[in-house]
Amino acid sequence: MNPVLKFEGVYRSYGSTVVLNGVDLAVHPGEVCGLIGRNGAGKTTLLKIGMGMLHPHGGSVRTFGMSPTDEPVSVKKRIGYVAEDQVLPPGSSISDLIAFHRYLFPRWDAGLEKQLLERFSLDPDKKIKHLSKGQAREVALLCAVCHRPELLILDEPAGGLDPATRREFLETSIHLLNQEGTAILFSSHHMGDVERIGGRVVLLDKGKVLLDRDLTTLREEICVAMVPRSVQVPHAFRMEQIPGCLRVRLVFDDWHVVMEGSAEGVRRKISMALGVEDVRCVPMPLEELFIELTGSER
Amino acid sequence: MQLIVNPSDELPLFRQVVRQMIEAIAGGRMKSGEQLPSHRDLSEQLVIAPLTVKRAYDELESLGYIETQRGRGTFVCSVLPAVNRKTQREEIARTARRLLSEAYLAGLRLPDVVKILEEADRQVREKK
Repeated sequence: MNPVLKFEGVYRSYGSTVVLNGVDLAVHPGEVCGLIGRNGAGKTTLLKIGMGMLHPHGGSVRTFGMSPTDEPVSVKKRIGYVAEDQVLPPGSSISDLIAFHRYLFPRWDAGLEKQLLERFSLDPDKKIKHLSKGQAREVALLCAVCHRPELLILDEPAGGLDPATRREFLETSIHLLNQEGTAILFSSHHMGDVERIGGRVVLLDKGKVLLDRDLTTLREEICVAMVPRSVQVPHAFRMEQIPGCLRVRLVFDDWHVVMEGSAEGVRRKISMALGVEDVRCVPMPLEELFIELTGSER
Repeated sequence: MQLIVNPSDELPLFRQVVRQMIEAIAGGRMKSGEQLPSHRDLSEQLVIAPLTVKRAYDELESLGYIETQRGRGTFVCSVLPAVNRKTQREEIARTARRLLSEAYLAGLRLPDVVKILEEADRQVREKK
C-alpha cells in the first residue's frame, strides 16, 4: 500500500537553529502513529510540513503522493487538522463555522456532523467565544473530520484538556478509525494516550527519528538496565558499543542503559559484556522510556 | 465483560487484555461458546487501538482459548486447552514462593496470606 504521508530526509531550520535534520517517516492508510518528543523537538514543524503549511529546506515530503506545497488544494481536501493553538473565529456560532466548512468540502458528511454534535453535546447556536477550551477543541475536531479525511493530523490535540475531555477525544478518534479507516498522525505529551490509541510510536529527538516502533510489543522489545556506577568497567562509550544499546546516561549512582531486547536477555548481555552481576533490568511504560531516552544526566 | 486496562501497568496493553480474559474464562465468568465483542466494539469500550484488541485475540486464539468462526464472530472455545499439569504446577509453585517471600517481608504470616487467597478466589469466581 502506498503511504498517505511520506517524509524523506526532511531538513528544516529556523535561522541558524536546525530543527529537523534528516527525518524519514512514512504513515500508511489506516495506521495510527503517535509522534512524541521533548518541547522543541520539531513535532509541530514536521506536521506543518506534512500539511504544506511550511516548506522543507531539504529532503522531500509527499502527501497522498503529491507535494503539499505544489498542490495545496488537492492535498488539504483529503486531510483533517487540529492543533492545540488553533484559533477559531470567536464571533461566529458553531453552526456558522460548520456551514463554512460544509461549503468548503463537497464531501461533507451531515450524518457524522449530527452524530458528533450529539456526542459532544454542543449547542450549534452558541458562539465560539462562549465555549470552554474543551468544547472549542471538540468543534475543531468536528470541522476536521466531517469531510471524511483519509489522513487526520492532530498536533497536541489534548493539550490543556482535562482527563475526561481527553478520553472523549480519544474515544472519538478510535470511533473514526474504526468507522472510516482514517490514518491518524498525532503528536502528544500524554504517553498514556499514545499507548492507548497508537499502533506505532515515533520519537523525535535532536532533529531525527530516535525510535520508531510497534507499540504493542515495545515493552517486550526494549528495556532499561541499571548498572551501579561503582562498577569499575563502565565507561559510557563502552556500553554504547554493546549492540542494541540506544542510550546511556548517568542517574545519581547508576548508569541507565536503554537496550533492545527482553529484560532477561539484556541482563545477560550486559553482565557478559561488562563482567558484572549486579545488573537490574526492567521493562518500562512509555512515559519512563521517554524520560530515559531524552532526559538529561542527573 | 468487565475489563480494565491501564497504560502505566508493567504489561503491554494487549497482554493485559489476554490475562484478564484468561482469568475470566478460568474463573467461569466467561463460558464456553460465549461470544466475544468484535475488535471494534471492544476497542471503543476500552478506548484502545483496534489493532491492540486484534493482537490480544490472536494471542488468545493461538493459546486455544477462543476461536473465530468466519462471518459469525469470535467465541470462547467449547474445549479449553488441556494444560500440561506438571509444568503448570511448577509454575504455580514458583509464583507461590514469590508471593510468600513478599508477604513475609511485609510482615504478614501464613494465615494472613491464606485469607488474602480466599478473598482473591471469591473475586476470580465472582459471577457477572
